[in-house]
Amino acid sequence: MSLVADAFVSQIAAAEAWPENAALYQPLKGEQILLSDNASSLAVQAFLKMCNLPCQVICRANAEYMSPSGKVPFIHVGNQVVSELGPVVQFIKAKGHSLSDGLDEVQKAEMKAYMELVNNMLLTAELYIQWCDEATLEEITEPRYSSPFPWPLNYILVYQKRWEIQRKMKAIGWANKSLDQVFEDVDQCCQALSQRLGAQPYFFSKQPTELDALVFGHLFTILTTQLTNDELREKVKKYKNLIDFCRRIEHNYFEDHAKDTSAGGMQRLPKGPSLH
Amino acid sequence: MAAPMELFCWKGDWGLPSVDVDCLAVLTYARFSGAPLKVHKITNPWKSPSGSLPALRTEENGVISQTHQIITHLRKQKYNADYDLSARQGADTLAFVSLLEEKLLPALIHTFWIDAKNYVEHTRKWYAESIPFPLNFFLPNRMHRQHMERLRLIRGDAWIEDEGELEKELYRDAQECLSLLSQRLGSQKFFFGDSPASLDAYIFSHLALLLKANLPSSKLQQHLKSLDNLCNYCVSILSMYFTWDMAASQSTSPRRAQAEPQDGDEEPHKRRNQILSVAVGLIAMIGYALLSGIVSIQRGSAGNAVTGRVVIGEEDEED
Repeated sequence: MSLVADAFVSQIAAAEAWPENAALYQPLKGEQILLSDNASSLAVQAFLKMCNLPCQVICRANAEYMSPSGKVPFIHVGNQVVSELGPVVQFIKAKGHSLSDGLDEVQKAEMKAYMELVNNMLLTAELYIQWCDEATLEEITEPRYSSPFPWPLNYILVYQKRWEIQRKMKAIGWANKSLDQVFEDVDQCCQALSQRLGAQPYFFSKQPTELDALVFGHLFTILTTQLTNDELREKVKKYKNLIDFCRRIEHNYFEDHAKDTSAGGMQRLPKGPSLH
Repeated sequence: MAAPMELFCWKGDWGLPSVDVDCLAVLTYARFSGAPLKVHKITNPWKSPSGSLPALRTEENGVISQTHQIITHLRKQKYNADYDLSARQGADTLAFVSLLEEKLLPALIHTFWIDAKNYVEHTRKWYAESIPFPLNFFLPNRMHRQHMERLRLIRGDAWIEDEGELEKELYRDAQECLSLLSQRLGSQKFFFGDSPASLDAYIFSHLALLLKANLPSSKLQQHLKSLDNLCNYCVSILSMYFTWDMAASQSTSPRRAQAEPQDGDEEPHKRRNQILSVAVGLIAMIGYALLSGIVSIQRGSAGNAVTGRVVIGEEDEED
């Protein structure tokens, strides 16, 4: 989120109440959205539900190009548009809702660190698998990403995005990694999360925080998405407490709202069996 | 025991054992874990076996050039500074390293390489003076471009549009990160109590570089200096683990003078330097010849089947 908007937020947003027509935009659920985008979108949805703020999920083919930062999802509240989880958390905080107020300073530092761990490893691994693994790219990413666009454009956009992601991987030193090494990293990350969670219901005992929303978004998406092979899912499935954690959040925050049209976003994801 | 592992890294300055974040992290970890390394402190990345620094030359696995991989390798060789940590602390290590990479590192890159004043007066100056002759003209610029590219890719395209805004955002993130680290450290000696672990090596390398460099424009440095426990943490690690280097860096020049002939003995580098200097000389001569018209290349002159023909001086006069 831009700083100008940031300053604007702190001055004005606090005064306004949460409007009824708040909306979250993401790419088309059924045929377009990719693993990483779905994870990010689900994380924001989970966060909003934990804050108990109603939000309608709207799917748009061009969501990526509507977003102020070029990344999905983004929320449209009143006359403001905010994208991605970090800025959304700040924005909501300015509105007077916060999940992490009860934590002490050290816990806050740990929460931030673990959120960066998820972004740094899980999100990057998702992007790697989507855009740098040839089989996944051909079978899943290409057709899905380009599905809403007409002929020459679909190739151009896929090529552009792929090029961008591959250069990013090169810049952060992931370009030389093999798929197995990436899975290894995912495993390491899940192990760390599993250790940190332990037997607690949420990462910081009884109350969920934005970290819980973020972890849920990524793990739930990985668990419920069919890729070319099951290796990624198997890595997560090894950790029993993480699966229980996903079920707990799904049960507490998504299932009882499932009849609402506003939670329509969740209905498409296969439930139950895939989590067993 | 096989031959010792050899580590190639940037040389030190400003009271630090190395001026590069990654090299410093590896060096620090080696000190913490007591790994016996033969350290080559060099100023020419082309002399490294992998072409980049840091690089670790090992017996079994060849050359390893990424910080994480080097540390993992050392750990596998039983030089493990994290041996006493619980699984939970191991998880914390991973998390805080991510925090550093995502929040502090971009701001560090910006401070050293993108901020115009710092780059021209400090970073480029240092590298241009340290890197040996022909390379010092283009290596600093190339490093500058690489860092700029890296920052652009990490932060997305948006920042080119508004550089001032990006800067503020980067520094805000970094300051937050520093504050978080300060809170996490509290009054402990190291991040996990009384003995150093790999996390300390990563954090120390980032903080010490920022603390010790004489930057002309140093917003972030000011913020770090205001966090007393982090400053003390850096100073105490420096004095506990690098005292010897500090003493040696006072008398850097004689030591380097001794090191020089030893480097010269290494046959491949010598050969490469020779080839390089001959190539540079040739290019200069040909360039001069072309530019001043001693040699000119004619294209498709009338009735001539040969499209490109070299006409040497004497023929030139006939025209």
